[in-house]
Amino acid sequence: MSQTKKLPKKLHFIVIDDSKLDCFIAEKIIKNTGRSESITQFLQAQEAIKYIAAAPPPSPDCRTIILVDIQMPVMNGFEFVEAFEKLSESITSGYTIYVISSSINENDIHKLQSYSSVKQFLNKPINSNMLASLLV
Amino acid sequence: MITPEKIKVLYIDDELNNLNAFKATYRFDYTVFIAQDIPKAYEHLAAHADICAVLCDQRMPDKTGVEFFEEMREQYPDPVRMLITGYTDVESVINAINKGHIFRYIKKPWTDVDIKSAIEEANKYYSANSLLSNKNKELKSAYEELGKFAYNVTHDMRGPLLSVIGALELAKTMDSLEEVKDILDMMDGAVKKLDEFIKNMHEYYNLKRSELIFNEIDFNKVVADISAFFRIGGKMDNVQFNYHVVQNEVFFSDEIGLKIILNNLMSNAFKYQRRNADNKFVDVSIEVADNKVTIIVKDNGIGIEESHIDSVFKMFYRATSAETGSGFGLYNVKDAVTKLNGTVELTSVVNEGTIFKVIIPGKQNVTN
Repeated sequence: MSQTKKLPKKLHFIVIDDSKLDCFIAEKIIKNTGRSESITQFLQAQEAIKYIAAAPPPSPDCRTIILVDIQMPVMNGFEFVEAFEKLSESITSGYTIYVISSSINENDIHKLQSYSSVKQFLNKPINSNMLASLLV
Repeated sequence: MITPEKIKVLYIDDELNNLNAFKATYRFDYTVFIAQDIPKAYEHLAAHADICAVLCDQRMPDKTGVEFFEEMREQYPDPVRMLITGYTDVESVINAINKGHIFRYIKKPWTDVDIKSAIEEANKYYSANSLLSNKNKELKSAYEELGKFAYNVTHDMRGPLLSVIGALELAKTMDSLEEVKDILDMMDGAVKKLDEFIKNMHEYYNLKRSELIFNEIDFNKVVADISAFFRIGGKMDNVQFNYHVVQNEVFFSDEIGLKIILNNLMSNAFKYQRRNADNKFVDVSIEVADNKVTIIVKDNGIGIEESHIDSVFKMFYRATSAETGSGFGLYNVKDAVTKLNGTVELTSVVNEGTIFKVIIPGKQNVTN
C-alpha cells in the first residue's frame, strides 16, 4: 500500500466495470463528492489500459483515481492491475487504484494485497460517504 | 463384454535362462516384458504405464529385489510387486514384504500354478485400485468444479443484487423524476440479468440431475415455441428471423435437451448482434435425415474472436463484455449435446457473424 500524500482538490476519475448500472452509480457518487474534474468510463478493461498508455504523462499536481471491478469478462480486474503495473512509472505514478467488487472471497482480497499499485479494496455497493472519506 | 486386453507383466531376473523360460511359458496368456537388469526394467515401466504386475528376483548383482521395489514404488506406485526368491529365511522375507510393500512372495523354483494364481490375484488387486484411483480423480475434479461453481455463482448472483442496492440508495437522493426513471430502467436490466442467470442455473441442474425422456419430436413445433418466446420478449426487434425445417421422418429425442440447445443458440444469435448494422439476421435451419438431426444457427452479429473460440463452451467463460451473459449458456449447450451423443462445432468471424452446427442422432427403438 502506497504512502498517503495530500490529494489535490480536483481529481480525474476512471471507472472500469462491465456493468453499465455500476458505472452509472459510480459516476453519480463521484459527482456527489464535488471533487471530480472529469470522469471517464470503460466497460472493458483492455480499453482502459489502451487509454491510460496513450494518455499524456500526468503532471505532478494532478491525480487520477481508478475504480476497477474484479470480475469482468475478457480482462478481469487482476489482469488489468498486472497490465497497469507493466506501464512505465512516469505514467503509473499519476494514478491511484481502488478495487471495487462484490467478491467476498478471501483469496481475492489476499491476492490484491500483493499488488503495490492497489491502494485499497472496497466492497460493493459503494456510496458517496465511503468515497468522500477516501479522498482526503 | 469386449475381449479384455492381455495382462501386462514385467519379470526381472539376472539369469537369462530364467527370463527366457518365463517368457516362453507365459507369452500366450500374458504380454510379457523381461529385463536382465534394473535400468532395462525402468525402460519397460516408462514405456508401458499399464504394466499390472512386476515380478523380481531377490538376488540381483547390484540390488536386491526388495531394494528395487522400495525404489520403484516412489515413481511407479501402481504395478503390483511380487518377489521371487529361493531365500528361505522367513524373518528376512517378512521384513522384505513389509518394507517393500510386496503383494506376494513366490518361492523358487516356481510352479506354473504359483505364477498364474499370483498374476491373476495381482490383476484383480490392480484393477480394483485403478478403478478407485479413477473414481478419486473424478471426485477431485467434481469437487474442484463445485468450488469454482460456488465462487462464480456467488459473484454472479450478488453482482446484480448489489448493483440494485447501490442504485436504490442513489435513487433516494434524486430529485428529478427523469433521473429516477433512468435509474429504474437500469435496475430493470440488472434484475433481468439475475433472472436469466437463475434460469440458466436451473437448466444446468436439469441437465445434471434428470434422466433423459425420449419422445417424438416435431421440430416445427419446437422452433415455433421458442421463437414465440423471443418475439414476445422483443428480442427479435429489428432482426430478420428466418427458419426452415425439413422433417419427413419420425424422430425421437429428449425435448428438454433439444430446447436448451436451440434456445441458447438462438438467444445468443439475437443478443450478440452488431448494434448499428442494418441487415441483421438470424437463420435457423433444421434437417432430419437418416435418423439424425442437423441444426444450424447462423447470425451476422459481432462474431467471436479466434482466441476465444476454444473456450466458449467452458463454464462461466465470457468472450465479450458486450451485452449480458451468464457464462452458462454455451456450457449448457455442450452438456446437452454430449448427453444426447451429438456434436457441436462453430465457425465465426469477428464483425461478420457466427455459425453453430449441432448434429444429434435420434434415439432408436423407443418403447412406450
